[in-house]
Parts: sequence; C-alpha cells; structure tokens
Amino acid sequence: MKLLKQLGIIFGICLVGEGIAAILPISFPASVISMFLMLLLLIAGILKMEHVKEAAEYLIQNMAFFFIPAGVAIMEKYDLVKGKILVLFVICVITLVLTFLAAAFTVKGVIRLQEKLRAKRGIQE
Amino acid sequence: MQGTPFPEWRLHMEIVSNPLFGVVLSILTFWFAKWIGGKLKWSVLNPLLLAIIFCIVILKVFQIPLESYQVGGDMISMFLGPATAVLAYSIYRQFALLKKYLIPVVCGCLAGSITSMLSAWILCDLFGLDESLKASMLPKSVTTPIAIGISEQLGGIPSVTVAIVIVTGILGSVLCPVLLKIFRIQNSIAAGIAIGTCSHAVGTTKAVELGEVEGAMSGIAIGVSGILTVLLSLLL
Repeated sequence: MKLLKQLGIIFGICLVGEGIAAILPISFPASVISMFLMLLLLIAGILKMEHVKEAAEYLIQNMAFFFIPAGVAIMEKYDLVKGKILVLFVICVITLVLTFLAAAFTVKGVIRLQEKLRAKRGIQE
Repeated sequence: MQGTPFPEWRLHMEIVSNPLFGVVLSILTFWFAKWIGGKLKWSVLNPLLLAIIFCIVILKVFQIPLESYQVGGDMISMFLGPATAVLAYSIYRQFALLKKYLIPVVCGCLAGSITSMLSAWILCDLFGLDESLKASMLPKSVTTPIAIGISEQLGGIPSVTVAIVIVTGILGSVLCPVLLKIFRIQNSIAAGIAIGTCSHAVGTTKAVELGEVEGAMSGIAIGVSGILTVLLSLLL
C-alpha cells in the first residue's frame, strides 16, 4: 500500500502538471511543469521526502528502462537519419567539447571572482 | 499465400498483439543489456542503447510490426512524465549543496546550455540538416525526459532525440575524463557541473567515480541545465 500511495501522489502531481500545461498559453513540456510543481511542494514542506521516497527512488533507478519504447520508435524514422549518421555524430562530438569547456571555465571563473570580491570586502571591513 | 490463418500464425499474432508482449520484450532486453554491461564494464555498452538495439533486431527478425510492440510500449512510455517529475526529488536531495554554490552553478549551467544549443543550431545549419533534425538535436545535452519534451515542442522527432541524447551521454562519459586532464580542470565543482551539463545522467555515473563532490555537482547540473534549456527553448 505504501508504494501504491507514493505512486498515487507522484501520478497525481503529474496529472495536475498536464492540466496546467493545457491551460498555459505557451507550449511547455508538461513533465517539466510537474517537476517544478513537485520541487515547489518539497521546498514549501507540503510534500515530505518520505511521502514519495521509495517510489521516487524506484523510478530514478530504473529511469533508463522507461525510454526503451521511445527509442525503438526510431525504426520507423530511420529513413530520416539514413546517410546523416556520421554528420550527426560529428556534431555531437563538437558540441559536447564546447559545452564542457563553456561550463567548466564559467564555474571556475565565477568562483574565482567570488573569492576576489570576498577578499576585497574583507580588506574594507 | 499471404494471410493464411494456419494455427501457428494465429498463435503468433495473439501473443504479439497482447499489450504484455511489448512490456515483456522491453524488460527482457533491458535485463539482458544490463547483464552484459555488468560483465564487460565498458562504457560504450549503455544498457538503454543495447536494449533498444535488441528490441529492434527481434522485431525485424520475427517481422513483428512496430504497432504491435507499441501497444505495450505505450504503457511503459506513460511512466516518462512521472520519471521526469521525480527528478525534483533528486534536486531537492542536493538542495543544501545547490544553495551554497548557487551562483557559480547557475552561471556554469547557463553558459553550457547556451553553448550546447547554439553550437548544435549553427552546426546543423552548416551541414544543411533539415528543421526536424535540427529540432531533434537542440536538446541533446539534457536528460532524456526533458529532451523529449523540448524536441516535441520544437517539432523534432522524439525517437531521434532519444538516440542522440544517449550517444551524447556515452561520448561524455568517455571524453570528459580526457578533457579534464587536457584542460587541467582540478576544481571539483567545475568538473562536476561541466560533466552534468554536457552529458546528463550517463556522464554523471562517470563523475560519481571521480569523487563525491563531482558526482553531486553533476547530479545538480542535470536538473539545473534541464530547466535552463527548457526556458531557453521558449525563446526560439
């Protein structure tokens, strides 16, 4: 019953998320709205971690499994990517390296900047 | 003669069109893929990628139509929404760490997300790919559930996005440790955020191996970059 209750809470939040997505004037993924909703409920303390713990961990641990059917559907779309696989792969490698470097050096830079600001403030005080 | 209702054929159709067929095939292939992955410990053997390949091979060999598989497959896909929503649970679990490094984390994820989408956009145009493939490529760095949502909203092909996201994740887990060495990134926070931003959950498994801070930061970056990429895609 515990797991069923937890799944009920998670599915309920998702249903509300779908409802919000239908009302919104802009198109926004319903699943992400549900994620925001759940995060807000957790931060507000309305939803406690133990209310969804086991079911949430089960879903997270087996996350990859739920994408199998979505991936198998590529069977029918194969004609669209045929002959472009190498190009797509090259784009993946280039964007990956650029993304990695942009994120790493930004974090490094901001941390250094924060330290400098903090040191400056320290001198002034 | 085609369509002859010989007994074996009818039995075959009964089994294959049952919703349980797609569910059982998915579970068995995933189970087998995980078993092989555990035996060989090779990061290129991603269990999701392997399971998808096994399913496609079995459907092709036994000439089972995709629609029959998807009767059960749709039941599994129904869990995609809840599986995305519970990412909130893992973000919340890292909330204290996120609050402490909020500014560098958000700046890093934002820079990474913008770079990912912009470079994919420019490269797709450069190589002359059509709009639907471009839309499928844009959310390539974020976690699969969020990427599927963005791809659908932008007019992409969700199944192509799934494949690209997995390949990106595998590339990340192979290339990130090398990039860390070449560019001498010793800061654990920077390393974790960079891995999570460019290669989501698959890369995070590698980040966890590098260290506790790297793993936690990479996990945070999955959620933060996912949210930022959704917001950025609204601007398109």
